[in-house]
Amino acid sequence: MDIILQSIDAVFNPLTLTLIVIGTLFGIICGSLPGLSSSMAIILCLPFTYSMDPISAIVLLVTVYLGGATGGSISAILLKTPGTPEAIATTFDGYPMAQNGMAGKALGLAVTASAFGAIFSAFVMLMAAPLLANAALSFQSAEYFGLGLIGLGCITSIGAKNQMKAILAVLIGLMVSTIGIDSINGMERFAFGQPFLLNGINYISVMIGAFAIAEVYKNIERYYQRDTNLRTEGKIAMKLMSFRDMAKMWDTFLKGSILGTLIGIIPAAGGSIASLIAYGEASGRHKGEKPSFGDGNPRGIIAPESSNNAAIGGSMVPTMVLGIPGSPVAAVIMASFLIIGLTPGPLLIREQPILLNAIFLAMIASALLLFIGGRFVTSQFAHILKLPYPLLGTFIVALALVGAYSLKNSYYDVFIMFIFSLVGYFFDKFNYSNAALILGLILGDLIENSLRRQIIVGEGSLMGFVTRPLALAIIIVAIIAFIWPAISKRLKKNKT
Amino acid sequence: MAIEVIFNIILGLLIVFYLFEAMQLPNIDNTVDVLGASGFPQIIGILALLVLLVISYRVVREKKVVQISLFNVRLQEGRLLLVNIFLLAGYIALLSILGFAVSTLLYLFIAPTSFGYSKWRLLTFFSVVGSLVLVSVFGSVFYVPLPRGIGLFRELSYLVY
Repeated sequence: MDIILQSIDAVFNPLTLTLIVIGTLFGIICGSLPGLSSSMAIILCLPFTYSMDPISAIVLLVTVYLGGATGGSISAILLKTPGTPEAIATTFDGYPMAQNGMAGKALGLAVTASAFGAIFSAFVMLMAAPLLANAALSFQSAEYFGLGLIGLGCITSIGAKNQMKAILAVLIGLMVSTIGIDSINGMERFAFGQPFLLNGINYISVMIGAFAIAEVYKNIERYYQRDTNLRTEGKIAMKLMSFRDMAKMWDTFLKGSILGTLIGIIPAAGGSIASLIAYGEASGRHKGEKPSFGDGNPRGIIAPESSNNAAIGGSMVPTMVLGIPGSPVAAVIMASFLIIGLTPGPLLIREQPILLNAIFLAMIASALLLFIGGRFVTSQFAHILKLPYPLLGTFIVALALVGAYSLKNSYYDVFIMFIFSLVGYFFDKFNYSNAALILGLILGDLIENSLRRQIIVGEGSLMGFVTRPLALAIIIVAIIAFIWPAISKRLKKNKT
Repeated sequence: MAIEVIFNIILGLLIVFYLFEAMQLPNIDNTVDVLGASGFPQIIGILALLVLLVISYRVVREKKVVQISLFNVRLQEGRLLLVNIFLLAGYIALLSILGFAVSTLLYLFIAPTSFGYSKWRLLTFFSVVGSLVLVSVFGSVFYVPLPRGIGLFRELSYLVY
C-alpha cells in the first residue's frame, strides 16, 4: 500500500504531470510528422533526461513512445503517409475513410483504439513483470545466453527485410560490442591504445547516429522529391467513438490489444509487426463485412492501432525484467535506464518498487491524454505540416550532437555518432537492418559474458547448456527464431 | 550492383582486420575459460565472413541496381546530401575551436541555406534562438560542460554559460 501511495505521489506531482503532458504531446507531433519517428522522438528527448531523477526520465520517454505510436496514425489517415512504421497498416482503411469524408471519425477510432491498447498493455505489464522477474531470479548464465540469442533471432527473422543482411548487421553489432576491456579477464581488446575505446563504444552515440542522423540524411535525400502538396483541408475535428460503437467492435479492440501485448513481449519484435499481424487477423476474420477492408472498414483502424500501442506495455516487460529490449524503440528506453543508473534485470523491480507502478500510472495518464493531445494536434495538423524541413532537420542534428556530447562530455562520442550516421545511411541503402546492428551491440556483452561464465562454471564444458532444461528450451526457441523464415517458406511451398 | 560489391569488399576487409586483431590477442593461462578474450571475437568474425560471402554471392547473382545519390553529385539531392554531411563534419570539427555556442549558431544559419532556404529574417531568428535555447538548456540548466573553443571564443563563452 505504501508503495502504491509513493508511486501515486511520484507520478501525480506537478513536475511529472507536466512531463507526461509534454511527452505525450511531443510524441504525437513527432509521430504525425512523416520523417520523424517514435525512436527519433525518444532519442531527441534522451539528452534532457540525463540529469533527471529515474522516474521522471522513464515516464517522459514512455509517454513520448506512446504519443509517437498514436501520432503516426494522424498522417496515415489524413495523408496516406504513415508518420511511423507502426502506422503502416492504419493507412489501408484510415485513408479511404478520410477520402469518404469521415476523417474525423477515422481519427477518433485511431485514438480510442490506441488508448484502449495502451491501457490494456499497462495492466498486463503491471501483472506480468513481477511474475517474470520472479521466474528470472532462477536464471543463470545459460538461460541469459539463450534469451540474448532469442532477441537476436527475432530481430533477424520477423523484424528484417533481408534475413542474411540482418544476421550480418547483428554480427557487426556483436563485433563492435567486443571493443574495450574484456569484463571477464580484464584484457584490452581492439582499443589500439586509445583510452576512449577502453570503456567500449557507447551504444547511445551509435543509436543517435544510425537512427536519428541517418534518418535526417534520408530526408535530405528525399527533399527535392517531397510532396509539396502535402496538406490537409483546414481544421479537422476528431470525432470520438460512442460506447455503443465500441461495444459493437469489442472483439477487435481486445484481440488487437492481446496480439500487440504478446508480440511486444517477444524480444526485439515491436509495434510495426504487431499492427500488421493484428490487421491481417481482423481482415481475415471479418472478411464479408461492409465496407470491406481496404475501403474504410473501422476494424481496419482499430486492430492495428490497438495492437501497436499495446506493444508498448508488452515491450517494457522484457526490457525492464530481462534487460533484453522488447522492440527497437524500447532499446532506446533501455539505454536511458543505464544512463540514469538503473540496471535492467530481475532485481530492478525489487530494488525500484515504485518504478513499475510509476510507468503503469504514466501510461494510463498518457493514454487518457491522447484524446486531448490527439484533438489538439489534428486541429493544428495543417500548421504542423508547414514546419520547414531545412530548419527542422538542422535543429535535429544540433540536438542530436549535444545529446551525444553530453553522454560523457566527450568529443569521441560525437565522432562515433558521425561515423555511425554514415554506417546507418549505407545500411539503410543496402537493406541492412540498423535495429539489428544496435541490438547486436546492446546484447553483445550479455551474450559473450553469459556464454563464457557458463563455460567457466562448467569447468570448460558446454554441457551446462544442455543439462539445464530451461536453458535448453530457451536455446531451442532461439534456434527456431533464427530458422523460422526458412521453415515458414517451406511450409508455404508445401501448401501451394 | 558495383557499389554494393565495393561496399561488401570494404566490409570484408574490416572483418578480416578484426579477425586478424582477434587472433593477436594473447591467451591467458586459464583452463576453464576455454574461449578466453579472443574466442568470441574469432567466432563472430568467422561467422560474419561466411555470411558476407553468401550475401555477396546473392548480390552478384541478382545484379540489383542500388542508387546511392551521395556518390552522384550531378544529382541535386546527391549534392545536397554531400554538402550537409560536410557541414556536419565541419560543425563537429569547429566545436573545439569556436566552441559550442558559436559553431551551433553558424551551423543553424548555414545548413538551411544549403537547401535553398532564403527567408532570412526567420533564418536569423531561428539560428539565434535555436542556439540560445540549446546553450541555456544544456549549458546553464543541465550544467553540461559544453565545448568552449579556444582563445577569444573561450573567454566569451564564460559570459554565456
